[in-house]
Amino acid sequence: MNTINKNNSTHSQRNALEKECKTAIEVSNLQFSYTKESAPIIDIEAWQVSKGEHVFLSGPSGSGKSTLLNLLCGTLTPTQGDIALLEQPFSALSNRQRDKFRARNIGVVFQQFNLIPYLSVAQNINAAVYFAGAKTSKETADAQLRHLLDKLQLPSHVLHAKADALSIGQQQRVAIARALINDPQLLIVDEPTSALDTDARDSFMSLLKDVAAESTMIFVSHDKAMESYFDRHCSMSELSPCTNHVKASGDKTQIVQERA
Amino acid sequence: MLSTIAIESLKRRKTTAILTLLSITISISLLLCVDIIRSQVKTSFTRTVSGVDLIVGAPSGQLNLLLSSVFNIGTPTKGIEYKSVASLKSNKQVSWLIPLSLGDTHRGFRVVGTTNSFFDHFKYGDMQSLEMAEGSVFTQPLSTVVGADIAKSLGYKVGDKIIISHGLGSVSFNNHDDHPFTISGVLKKTGTPVDKAVYVTLQGLEEAHTGPKLSPTSMLGRKSADKANEHEHEHEHEHEHEHEHDKHTEEHAPYNSEAFTPESVSVVMLGLKHRVTALQLQYQINQSKKEPLMAILPGMALAELWQIMGNVESLLLGLSGLIVICALIGLATMLLATMRERYQEIAVLRTIGAGPFTLLLLIQIEAMLLTTVSAALSLGLVAGLMSMLKPWLSSTYGLFLSSPLFGQSSVIIILLILGCTYLVSLFPAVAAYKRGLHAGLNANS
Repeated sequence: MNTINKNNSTHSQRNALEKECKTAIEVSNLQFSYTKESAPIIDIEAWQVSKGEHVFLSGPSGSGKSTLLNLLCGTLTPTQGDIALLEQPFSALSNRQRDKFRARNIGVVFQQFNLIPYLSVAQNINAAVYFAGAKTSKETADAQLRHLLDKLQLPSHVLHAKADALSIGQQQRVAIARALINDPQLLIVDEPTSALDTDARDSFMSLLKDVAAESTMIFVSHDKAMESYFDRHCSMSELSPCTNHVKASGDKTQIVQERA
Repeated sequence: MLSTIAIESLKRRKTTAILTLLSITISISLLLCVDIIRSQVKTSFTRTVSGVDLIVGAPSGQLNLLLSSVFNIGTPTKGIEYKSVASLKSNKQVSWLIPLSLGDTHRGFRVVGTTNSFFDHFKYGDMQSLEMAEGSVFTQPLSTVVGADIAKSLGYKVGDKIIISHGLGSVSFNNHDDHPFTISGVLKKTGTPVDKAVYVTLQGLEEAHTGPKLSPTSMLGRKSADKANEHEHEHEHEHEHEHEHDKHTEEHAPYNSEAFTPESVSVVMLGLKHRVTALQLQYQINQSKKEPLMAILPGMALAELWQIMGNVESLLLGLSGLIVICALIGLATMLLATMRERYQEIAVLRTIGAGPFTLLLLIQIEAMLLTTVSAALSLGLVAGLMSMLKPWLSSTYGLFLSSPLFGQSSVIIILLILGCTYLVSLFPAVAAYKRGLHAGLNANS
């Protein structure tokens, strides 16, 4: 990614921040519960991830992995405690500031890739550029996109194909491209290999490690066999030992809606 | 990018989007049609008569007098004596006078007895005079001039003979067969009730009514009838040669329709030397002690009539407005219903950086797009429909569509609909906004 010449100010600021930052994630006294009455689902006293570190986060279903990722993305707000990302007080930012920060600094790869089916590959990826508010010229953005597709071994003709017309493998690559297009410092990957067989999983991991070599990565999976790909392994049971784990995701969704 | 997402999203939900589009298009079209017909009727209405300062008839009611004299609708009022007409004619304030005798028909069209002064002084629209498409004004007592619509629908031309019927019914068994009128002229189209009237001379009408066939509504003086009889009697005693000579003279000498004096007429239209004296003369006429008369100002009577019609028009406009509101609620329902299947999409947009306000904007763009396209389609549809129905509207209802079809009110309607769209789309947009605030990575799980 860094081989491409980026002459926009946003990127320069980010490079400066990157050089200065040593800690990518710093969590202290973090608590989260979906309702005021219930016991916290997340209760982390302190947790740090260094810049450039690739962390494997594991835990059984309902252990709060996705909730923690939502907190790190800023789509959920902590009930208590602080989250600092790239040495910025992320949890203290306003909604608008958090949206901007997330768009510019955090890339997300979803469990089911979650490409917007009715948009083309190019539109899916460009949407991430647009919402990040990047002021790159069209030529630079196109060059960046093509470079990324080359790296992800995606033929250029898929650019105009609708997302739902792609194979699973292609969707995976497009999801990674979308997460990396803004050159994020923090990459959050939520169980993208759960539906893959071992060979496909290994191939995906090699590709991901290659393209995200310079980003800090939090990779969530309940498959401990993948631990070997990462610098460090964190278990949810160690991070958040005394929590009220939600057993069914349906309940969680309902609680979220009730809170809304 | 937002509009691209909105368009692609609508394309994805093609069927529901098209159905919603159709529903909004139909309701906007309906509203525009009502508005156009309302404004065109008003224009058509106000152009029916111009330049006439007062209409005088027997006391009945201002609307009745206006409808019978200008619109050829309803039962004519009781006649007014000719001496009253002569008195009005000699009034210093009066510039010209058109006597009208009503009450007969020809194949369902109203017959109006008048003089050539009608063709000289009657004006419509922006003071436009009546013009002949073919032939000339009255040339002899049994001359008739027909309106453009009658000539077209009944295929009449100059020289054709027509029979008028007694009374106002569309079918009459009491025809004045012994007095056929010869068409001396066909009027150019005016877009007013003139197009649907048959104009005959007062003298011819009186001759047709002589004898026992006197109509209470088109009562013409027996005195005049007697005069006509005397005239006929004299003719019987003249030499055949002289009779031929007279007929010859009648055909070639200019006919003075004003010279004939019937005993009474139904209505009189007055043009004044100075319009400012209209109110004063109206007061004088209404206070007349010789014969009870009623004078009305056509402009005021038209305004009163329009006020009555305006209520119906407002009701129609209101109903059409409600239909549009229903269609817009349908649009909001459609967007709201699709929200559930779009939760994942909302979560994705949120995590790649779209803020809740962006999501709100996205839903509103979708709604606005649908309504804007519907409005454009409606304008095209209504323009096409009106151009197709133009001949039918003019022939059946006498409604002449004039350009421009879409006026200021159409623009206001479209803007109001867009404003309403903005408001009703707030419901699904707020749902997306709220969902956006809590959208997470596992929204699909």
